[in-house]
Amino acid sequence: MRHSCGFVIVANPDSRRVALFQESLARLGQKSARVVAYVDLLAGRTHLSEVVRRGDVVRIESPGRDWEVERSLLCAGVDAAFSEDVQEGGSEWMSRGALQELHFERGRVLPSRQWYLGWCQVLQLIECQLTECPPHRLMNCPADITLMFDKPRCHELLARSGVATPRSLGSPACFDDLVTRMKEVNCRRVFIKLAHGSSASGIVAYRTDGERHQAATTIEPVRRGNELLLFNTRRIRVHQDVAAIAETVDALCRHRVHVEEWLPKAGFAGRTFDLRVVVINGRAQHTVVRLSRSPMTNLHLLNERGDVAALRARIQSQLWESAMQTCEAAMTCFPGSLYSGVDLLFTPNFKKHAVLEVNAFGDLLPGVLCDGLDTYSAQVRAVIESSG
Amino acid sequence: MAIQEHLQEFAGKPVANWEPGSDFQNPGGTLARISLDYDEYDQKQKWLDKFAAFLEDPNASQSTGLVVGPWDFESSEDSSAIVEALVTARDRLPNLTAIFLGDILSEENEISWIRQSDVSPLLDAYPALEYFGVRGGDGLSVGALRHERLKTLIIQTGGLNADIVRAIGKSHLPQLEHLELWLGDSGYGATTTVEDLTPILSGQLFASLRYLGLRNSEIADEITRAVATAPIVERIKTLDLSLGTLSDEGAQALLESPAVAKLEKLDIHYHFCSDEMVEKLQQLPIEVDASDSQQPYQYDGESQRYVAVSE
Repeated sequence: MRHSCGFVIVANPDSRRVALFQESLARLGQKSARVVAYVDLLAGRTHLSEVVRRGDVVRIESPGRDWEVERSLLCAGVDAAFSEDVQEGGSEWMSRGALQELHFERGRVLPSRQWYLGWCQVLQLIECQLTECPPHRLMNCPADITLMFDKPRCHELLARSGVATPRSLGSPACFDDLVTRMKEVNCRRVFIKLAHGSSASGIVAYRTDGERHQAATTIEPVRRGNELLLFNTRRIRVHQDVAAIAETVDALCRHRVHVEEWLPKAGFAGRTFDLRVVVINGRAQHTVVRLSRSPMTNLHLLNERGDVAALRARIQSQLWESAMQTCEAAMTCFPGSLYSGVDLLFTPNFKKHAVLEVNAFGDLLPGVLCDGLDTYSAQVRAVIESSG
Repeated sequence: MAIQEHLQEFAGKPVANWEPGSDFQNPGGTLARISLDYDEYDQKQKWLDKFAAFLEDPNASQSTGLVVGPWDFESSEDSSAIVEALVTARDRLPNLTAIFLGDILSEENEISWIRQSDVSPLLDAYPALEYFGVRGGDGLSVGALRHERLKTLIIQTGGLNADIVRAIGKSHLPQLEHLELWLGDSGYGATTTVEDLTPILSGQLFASLRYLGLRNSEIADEITRAVATAPIVERIKTLDLSLGTLSDEGAQALLESPAVAKLEKLDIHYHFCSDEMVEKLQQLPIEVDASDSQQPYQYDGESQRYVAVSE
């Protein structure tokens, strides 16, 4: 006998994620989810207590890919970003006035820390409104999402829990600070990422031999007036000039960064690769091999997916199993969440692996099946089967 | 593009990692790969120690070939100690006919950051050597290149110094069947000109040559125009101009060459030719690999083509 659950999604209603999730619900004989739009939530036009019914399952979706929502999150973060800058200095933030005038520019890196602080506010708002709702279940809890979007804290948690990760070099304030930290721990190669970024936004792969420098990045710095703006592009460029590298890294650091040791990645089918593993209900399920010709493997960079079965045939099964168990162990750090997308690398020869990231919304993998179900269907089924 | 996978095979045989504590299986049919991984390097292990342990393996003396993987991840050590260790071990590796020095991924150390050294002692120490490959042009020298048995010579770089090419032009390698040079990019030390290649292209050397690879070249069009009408093409079976900046300009010369049409194989994979040109090339009565076509990058209104392996 099939249970029926009511679903509520907090999302941008036009998002592909919503459409795919609704399709999965339909396929599993469930009613469509009621969708609460971020714009309505943020404007106070909708309160979750008006929507969530007893026994409902609530899903918090990505707020991404909607310019107005993006801008609202930045607005929500203004006060917190301002006080942080007052206290700590050197951080990139934008006033309400500047945000009003802002128009959408593809690829522009907007104040990342401010965005995160605004996002945290919104998650708190959701959490707060949920306390006023009748008893319900959450697919992913705001506290976990908050943590997953904070790479330095997330890394710390994983490391403390014994999950294999690359060494962290923390959040340097600028390039010189980074160089000092690298020397202190005798590390000559690092991945610099935005602390709160996603999807390969704002990444630099930097290495040095003491004399020569090399940084690979998709970031393009653009001078506008007396400002240095950063844009994400789809093209990897490689810089050898330390002054150019320092300029980009300095600018990134002002958004707050998370720096890790750059572990060499294994190769497959003539390219470097890592894995995106969606862990659902404690089990490593949907897996995508992300091939790349560069150190950056994210799929939206026009990188390709590799053949999982062929890769598994190349790797000794106990090494593969061990990596999957590590992904599952990473998820135990987030007990309030049914799923997430874990990024994992193997080192050359597959002898070791390491978790690179835990992505709260890393389950958008259309067409990828596990046991015949896509990610959303697998989640829905897990939810239904655990209804008592 | 970069080099992302370790050699799966070399000298016609599969390559397998050798680790201390494991027995060296199938020494006649498999090449052992000796390398440090990133963790081992971090823990201050030494390639030389691993190699010494390998020599103690009861099957080591039956090895027919050796692949040297990373010995360093920081460009702090060149290959001279490796070369010396291999030379010293010559009596313990009497069956060695193949050596690849530098099977290092771009993720491990960029090709132009690999520090090589003078490899001529290796050739002198192993007169029975038939296959020799080396990756990394920085600091590389090859000496006089006099070897009676060498059949395969592979030099992979992001920027090959012309001295090496000139040395090959004056070499004595009577058995050479496979000559493969990755010429690279001038930004990374490539100084070879078409003129430097003249002795090789003239056909006066290498009576047994079957494969000529002038790969990964920033001056692919120029080279191709020279090669297309060079006497050497009438001797070889395979011409490999892959991984470089070949465009329609150079490819046209290939179309017009009667000698090219009599090859067995033409390899130009990773190229900047148009679809039309690729179609025409595929109509040659020979095997043509024109896969992996590239688009030049537009920057500041200028079209930029770039070689596959350079950094």
